[in-house]
Amino acid sequence: MSEAHEKPESAPTPGIDLNEQDILEAMRAIPGYLDITPGDFREVYRLAFQHALERLSRDVTAGEIMTKDVVSVNPDTQLADVAAAMGRRGVSGVPVVDAELKVVGIISEKDFLSRLGVVEPRNFMSLVADCLMTKGCVALPIKVALAGDLMNSPAVTVAPDTPVRDIAALLTQHSINRVAVTDPNGRLLGLVSRGDIIKATIGRESAC
Amino acid sequence: MLGAYFRKMTGTSQSPPRVSLGEILWSWVGAFLGIAAVAYINYGLMDKTGLLLLIGSFGASAVLIYGAIKSPLAQPRNFLGGHLVSALIGVTAFKLLAPHLWLAAALAVATSIAVMHATKTLHPPGGATALIFVISGPPVTNLGYFYVLMPVGAGALIMLGVALLVNNLAPRRRYPEFWW
Repeated sequence: MSEAHEKPESAPTPGIDLNEQDILEAMRAIPGYLDITPGDFREVYRLAFQHALERLSRDVTAGEIMTKDVVSVNPDTQLADVAAAMGRRGVSGVPVVDAELKVVGIISEKDFLSRLGVVEPRNFMSLVADCLMTKGCVALPIKVALAGDLMNSPAVTVAPDTPVRDIAALLTQHSINRVAVTDPNGRLLGLVSRGDIIKATIGRESAC
Repeated sequence: MLGAYFRKMTGTSQSPPRVSLGEILWSWVGAFLGIAAVAYINYGLMDKTGLLLLIGSFGASAVLIYGAIKSPLAQPRNFLGGHLVSALIGVTAFKLLAPHLWLAAALAVATSIAVMHATKTLHPPGGATALIFVISGPPVTNLGYFYVLMPVGAGALIMLGVALLVNNLAPRRRYPEFWW
């Protein structure tokens, strides 16, 4: 508060940089006595502008920020292939789609970890800890399993016009890291991950 | 730290621009008619009855409701609400603390400001309305809670009527910004 008021220059206005002269001119154009100082008006403008930016960023939709180039697997894909695909693409989750490209589930690193016998799978380090505290590393009981056995089903999906703010709520509510974006028939259009949301918050130009 | 404290006294902005000549004239006309209406009834019709309609704080209200009609402080909610709330508090403070007028005066004004803030009816002349009751002596204090209805309520209503009629005569003016 005191910082913002110490010097008008210390509170740069985002977007259009209004100076007090602009505001004085505007006040002259409005007939009648306006019960506000140009400095206070500038502060109101600055905060209102910030508020508008936040509101607009909240109105961004899943379709605008989703990753479209997504690798997907089928329910009968071998888990070894699923893991290989995830590793190759450097992603921590893939959608599972059926023959009609309808999303039937999602597989994430966490699902692998829980299958590998980690009791409370939080991240890769729980696996490391498990390995170090037991004899030998995890036997792979899942070598012959298929994507359909491991996937989280049904997947949490959203429509392309779902606002990002709702997706953020879904991610938190389900403790997941990504949702599949589907068309009205349930066919895969893309994925929105936590990373996509962060990129969209920083600015649209860096999101693509 | 002490430096920052004193630097706050230097100000950060500048005075708003001067209003147009039209605005000055309309402010004058509104205030003249508003105070004339209340004062005429006060002196012309009520003198013999011992009743009052005109109090000093209406002069301050005139600045707002005829001179700064866009101000939130000048809107009907603030103008009527501020006067009525403060009048109640002024009478109550006097009745509770009567011989100790210094305390009644301070409490009346301070409490009026607090309650006007809390009720979103801040109207600076309200502070004077509360104070006037405490300091005016028997001609006013004998009114008791009737003070809230008259002069305060009745006088304020007349001034509001004039504000609605006169302020909206001006082509580039409009009053109020909001009612409630």
